[in-house]
Amino acid sequence: MKYQKLSSPRRRGSSLSITSLNSDFSLDSRPCLRSQVHGNDKFIYNFFLLFFYLFIFLFVYSGNASAQQVSLSLSPPLLELFIKPGKAIMVAYKLDNLGDPTFLNLKILPFETKDNLGNIRIKPEFEGPVRFSLDNADLTLDQPFFLKTNGSQQILLRIRIPENITDGDYYYSLLAETTPPTASEGIGSARAKATIGSNILVTISNSGNIDIKPKISLFSTRGGLTLGQNIKFFDSSDQIPVVLTVVNKGKNMMKPEGQISLKGNFGETIKYDIISKNILAESERLLEATPSASVECGDRRDAKFCVSTLILSGFFIGKYNLSTEIRFGENSPTIFGSTIFYAFPFKITGGIILAIVIVVFILSRHFREDGN
Amino acid sequence: MSKFIIFIIFIIFITIIIPEVSAIPMDSSRFKIESANVEIAGGNKSSTSYKLADTVGQLAAGQYSSTGYVVKAGFQYLHSIIPFRFSISDINIAFGTLVPSTPSTATTNLTVYFGGAGQYQVTAIEEGPLKTQSLNVIPDTSCDGGANTCNESLAKVWSSASAYGFGYGMSGNDIPADFIDSTYYRPFPDRTSAESPATVMTSINVGKNRSSTVTFKANISSIQPAGSYQTVINFVATPSY
Repeated sequence: MKYQKLSSPRRRGSSLSITSLNSDFSLDSRPCLRSQVHGNDKFIYNFFLLFFYLFIFLFVYSGNASAQQVSLSLSPPLLELFIKPGKAIMVAYKLDNLGDPTFLNLKILPFETKDNLGNIRIKPEFEGPVRFSLDNADLTLDQPFFLKTNGSQQILLRIRIPENITDGDYYYSLLAETTPPTASEGIGSARAKATIGSNILVTISNSGNIDIKPKISLFSTRGGLTLGQNIKFFDSSDQIPVVLTVVNKGKNMMKPEGQISLKGNFGETIKYDIISKNILAESERLLEATPSASVECGDRRDAKFCVSTLILSGFFIGKYNLSTEIRFGENSPTIFGSTIFYAFPFKITGGIILAIVIVVFILSRHFREDGN
Repeated sequence: MSKFIIFIIFIIFITIIIPEVSAIPMDSSRFKIESANVEIAGGNKSSTSYKLADTVGQLAAGQYSSTGYVVKAGFQYLHSIIPFRFSISDINIAFGTLVPSTPSTATTNLTVYFGGAGQYQVTAIEEGPLKTQSLNVIPDTSCDGGANTCNESLAKVWSSASAYGFGYGMSGNDIPADFIDSTYYRPFPDRTSAESPATVMTSINVGKNRSSTVTFKANISSIQPAGSYQTVINFVATPSY
């Protein structure tokens, strides 16, 4: 019904138009021509209807045009392997593409420690005795493959240790890198390539024994007022950062476990657990303990308080003894460290003394004026 | 008839005896457990006499041993369901048509989710300077020069219209401290010059969603030859060990 109501005036208009162009024709007297005109009319109507629908569809259903983005996820983020020469294992990784469709390339590169904060430096070329390959039928290392949006790829990584390899540690990263987009002609542009990595720590030992040589290289408080060689004073209300750095001069990585204890002058003791982060062979690492107070570091990664092992907060008064005991598993040495600091309410005392001086000054002046 | 009665009894037995299938409750009003091994159960169990870290139901997760090898996957001290994830909001950073002595900038956002990775770093390196196919080069910036001479590891002010080159500035979470404000820039390390990648984001604290903005900047002189200047910047996100 709607069609007829709508079409009726348009049909008349169309008829008039044709009549005006071809004045000799009478539509009413030529039924076949009339049906042809009605057919054209219907076609135009349908065309406009379709155009209208598509127009609405364009604005309602189409999303915003967006930049080409990449978003990758790789798990597990870390693999620790303790293995004998001549053995091989297979490990399953999961790579997810949460961005736009992209081509990805898998590769393995060795890494070394960059600093004592746990950062790494990936070496540009492969080295070391460990052999890597993929067990996937359709994937190989260093060969690009396509991964669609929300696509997931299981990576079956085979790690093989040849016979007669010297005991030691070898560190690698499994890297999944995107292919950069094609260059735009006629303009200046930088194209970004995204790479996500997962670290692989391989300890090769024929006997099952490991070589670790731990030593505390730094255990101290930061900031405060230093008197003499190592006597530190803090205000009672200060947040006190503690730094504990352990060096490993052995040939294998180690995993510290232990506690930092804070003992006050009344015998009260608080214990903080050391987080068991790996210390690689022939490197050192700043350890972290928990629960720690936290401070607002802003967005700056190297703010003084943000790179400490522990932050003590509370109201301190008197002498405090900080000690640590760190173990590295069975049949491994236990290492100890200690330091002391003093805390007094300097700010409060200073405020009180200043207030007393001001009051005494005012009173003495008042009495002097009275005397005069 | 007897078969029918047996069938009915069997059905009733099944209905009454077999318990409901239910999910393992992992939270209450006082706590919520996040686990890296979400398939069945994972995390730490402890009492005064024992402490156990277990992993159940995930391929190659946790610790297992066999003859000749031991494998541990993931961080044993973390129990998070947040996977290690890295995103770049726009991988095509277009400057448009470069106009002499008129700096052009373009931005992209880097986002890292790293709850299950302990700590992380993002590094950046260019695969050569901005150049045309005929090898005309826009050199890497040294910022305003003089006291404001920047390098690959130190950002300085780059605001002069007569200071030419290509570089980047940063703002947001976990960025290097030398990016003091939006006028501070560095040149990218150049892989073709055997330079080491620069760390542009890093954190030693566990977090969920850390994001920064990289501002690319190019400024050319009037004698710079015309052409399509291109380069590739490689951003590498890795967890710690």
